[in-house]
Amino acid sequence: MATQVTTAPGARFIDPNVLARLGSIELAARFVVEGFINGLHKAPYLGVSIDFAEHRGYMPGDDIRRIDWRLFARTDRFYVKQFEADTNTNFSVLFDVSKSMSFGSRGITKLDYGRYLAACLSYLSTKQRDRVGIVTFDDDIVERVPPSAKHFDVTLHTLDKIEAGRPGALGPPLYKATEFFKRRSILVVISDFYEEPEKIFDAVKPLRFAGNDVIMFHLLDPAEVDFPYDDSTSFQDLETGRKIPVVPDKLRDQYRELVREHIQAITQLASQNRIDYAFMNTKMPLDHALLRYLMMRHKLTKVR
Amino acid sequence: MSFLAPLFFAALAAIGVPVLLHMIQRQRTEVVEFPSLMFVKKIPFHSLRRQRIRHWLLLLLRCAALALLVAAFARPFFESAALVAATGGSSEVVILVDRSYSMGFDNRWERARDAARQVVQRLAPDDEATLIFFDSGAEAANRSTTDRASLLAAIDGAELSARATRYGPALQLAQGVLEDSDQPLLEAVLISDFQRIGVDSAANTLLPPGTVLTPVSVSDDEPVDNISVTGAAVQRDFFSGRERAAVTARVANRGGSTVSGLQVVLELDGRELETREVDVEPGAAATVTFDPFTLEDRGMPVSVRVAADPLPHDDVFHFAVTPGDVVPVLVIGSPGEAEANLYLERALAIGTIPSFQVVVRSVDQVTTDDVAAATVIVLNDAGLPVGAVGEAMTRFVENGGGLLVALGERVRWPGDNLTLLPGPIDEPADRDGRGGTLGFVDYSHPVFEVFSTPRSGDLSAPRFFRYRPVNVPADALVLARYDNGDPALVEHSVGAGRVLLWSSTLDTFWNDFALKPIYLPFAHKLVEYLAAYRSPTPFLTVGQVLDLSEYPAAEEIDLASANLVVRDPNEDRVSAGGEGRVGFIDLAEQGFYEIRDTESGASEPVTVAVNVDLTEANLERVDPQELVATATGRAAGDRSVVADRELAPEDLERRQTLWWYLLIGALGFLATENVISNRLSRAELDPDD
Repeated sequence: MATQVTTAPGARFIDPNVLARLGSIELAARFVVEGFINGLHKAPYLGVSIDFAEHRGYMPGDDIRRIDWRLFARTDRFYVKQFEADTNTNFSVLFDVSKSMSFGSRGITKLDYGRYLAACLSYLSTKQRDRVGIVTFDDDIVERVPPSAKHFDVTLHTLDKIEAGRPGALGPPLYKATEFFKRRSILVVISDFYEEPEKIFDAVKPLRFAGNDVIMFHLLDPAEVDFPYDDSTSFQDLETGRKIPVVPDKLRDQYRELVREHIQAITQLASQNRIDYAFMNTKMPLDHALLRYLMMRHKLTKVR
Repeated sequence: MSFLAPLFFAALAAIGVPVLLHMIQRQRTEVVEFPSLMFVKKIPFHSLRRQRIRHWLLLLLRCAALALLVAAFARPFFESAALVAATGGSSEVVILVDRSYSMGFDNRWERARDAARQVVQRLAPDDEATLIFFDSGAEAANRSTTDRASLLAAIDGAELSARATRYGPALQLAQGVLEDSDQPLLEAVLISDFQRIGVDSAANTLLPPGTVLTPVSVSDDEPVDNISVTGAAVQRDFFSGRERAAVTARVANRGGSTVSGLQVVLELDGRELETREVDVEPGAAATVTFDPFTLEDRGMPVSVRVAADPLPHDDVFHFAVTPGDVVPVLVIGSPGEAEANLYLERALAIGTIPSFQVVVRSVDQVTTDDVAAATVIVLNDAGLPVGAVGEAMTRFVENGGGLLVALGERVRWPGDNLTLLPGPIDEPADRDGRGGTLGFVDYSHPVFEVFSTPRSGDLSAPRFFRYRPVNVPADALVLARYDNGDPALVEHSVGAGRVLLWSSTLDTFWNDFALKPIYLPFAHKLVEYLAAYRSPTPFLTVGQVLDLSEYPAAEEIDLASANLVVRDPNEDRVSAGGEGRVGFIDLAEQGFYEIRDTESGASEPVTVAVNVDLTEANLERVDPQELVATATGRAAGDRSVVADRELAPEDLERRQTLWWYLLIGALGFLATENVISNRLSRAELDPDD
């Protein structure tokens, strides 16, 4: 796999359809993450350590075990080594499993894509010795796996068995989930975010205000973005069942503009609320998501 | 709403065909499942669903057109008269115009004609109108016509009559016109001054159900001043052997203020004879007595007149004064029994209309000349004279003379000559004790008619102690019987004459009848009946029909004469009856009619005085709504309870022709559908349009 990645430029962008054929989520996650990490050695983000943060001058009261003696030998001053606080942090995926996530026009559904994405991120976090957990929701909490160093397998198992069936809503389940995370956590919200931007952030902001780092992964199928339909026909809402006769040719442009405005509004609100947001088209490789995740970690490192 | 051919509604099932096709088409359409239609729904409605709405509109238009077509073939119609009115059905309008003489008050008549013209001008083109002028009778000037010009001409040519107001005949005529009409709406317009005196005649008239009766009053609510001459009486006397008459007139003031110095004029034969002044209190009457004038042999036309007021018809009263009649009576008694005639002679000496000229003879002295000079012969307790006189008397009766036979004990009638008697006479019969009384009286007979009402004389008061029983046949005309059933007064006809047989005496010998007050009128009526006397008629009333054959003053006129001329008060010649009605004159004008036979050579015509019906002078009004309620059975203006007319459904449908409007509506829908569908087609061919 690594050969494939290194020999062919762009091959590291693994087609999600190929991943879907692997069957095992763990294998797929490993497949992605390992290839991704291998590739990182050549990535422009080399040198970013997730262990060491910085040195600072010793202050009375600091633990003397954290004094960097080597630096003292060179400089004759006491410096204290500071490590990243996210080491051994909590990592949870909040996964939207509403009926709309079951849509897929190119062989892989948004649910599957999100499933692999969540697995990959969980695997990556486990590699960093983070405690991983998962919460699935539609219009309510469906299943919850609390973050734990031993819960990677349970998380994967949960991801493996989820099914999309019911209509979804962001507000009620996320309000409820806010209560689950007492410690600062990295929370990854994976959803198609079919709600008004203000409502979306009304639901997400409490997570952020509780001190968590929130990353929103916005999954959309290519058909949802491009609206490639031709014939006049009735469209049925997967969640509500409502049917509307639609003449796609007449409203395609307006539809695309609305989607673009929707994404733009979410991006703007995310920035305002210091929430990281990544729009994911399911035709894009998964390592884009991982890259987005690591960039987030990088920003956190800089902040601290 | 009802339908004449409701089976056509089965065709409404055809509406389901396009709907069914539409549903089938929809089922075949593939449905695309999409995660969320959040953005699709945000796209403006018209750009998304315009085509669909237009198609639904087309479907609705087509279905509506089809439904209207089916409804048109089902031939709908409204059964309610109110709805018929709403659909604009034509009307049968009866215009009733009061032309009684009270309408001559002030300008009422012109206002009434103006109101009638307005009704005519408001008529719809299809409305049929009947114009009825009425007073005490009713006459249709036009009947169910749409010719407005003839209606207006009839109104212009109408004139007031001299008759009184009676609403009954007019409403009955209107009732007949409306009942015969086949128009869906019935309406009557009553234009009148609404006098109360005419309302009673309308009590039994009810206009057809559904008729709208609209009253138009041309009278004012304020009380009006009106003076009427309501009558005149003539007091006769003799001065220097000439008969004189003194006229007393009665003047009534129906207004609200006292009339002072009212001049009352007595006119004789058209010339003013005397004028008197009188004061009349409001709501009261006064009498004026004029000086007597000498009568002539002919009937004299006399009028009493007051100054003209807004209602001139009742300001004059006409009547004819004729010389008093004399009835010659021959009383034949038994020789030496002059006392027996005393009571009868004295009774007949009293009286002026008529006066009786009594000649008393004993049976042995009477002559044929006496018989010939008499109109009535009384055999008072005397037998039939023998010989020529007896025969003359028989002929006298057979030729129309009157004979009264009063039986007493001296009557001996030859048994072989019972021609003049109703039956053989028996010997006197006595009644014991207080005597007998009259037990049965035929009050319908002219002799007893005047005694028929209460306080008009007690015929049971006289006591009869003896009488002569008469054996009358079973079919004899017995006018009175004693309380034991024996005949008291029997009538017997002989030829053209009449014989009355009184089975007791006319003096006090066998009864005390002659001592009772009733004796005098009884004696007068006996003689008047036998003389076939008819009292003169001083005046008649407008609206009556004069039968010349029954009019005493016209006895001399040959009704069959081709030269009979009758002139009305306007000097216009009028008909004296047509075929089958010879001698009958319709009295339509107020004043004096003159009847003359130009061939008979008589110098003086027969004068007939005619007055208006004075009840019409009472201008008291009735509430028009009261009359409307009487004539229609419901309150005026109440159209909510207008009953439906019983027209056949076919007639209702034919008059309303609602199918025509439905057909136009269907064509309109189809045209609209055509326009819209064409635009849709063009829009599909040219998306940039």
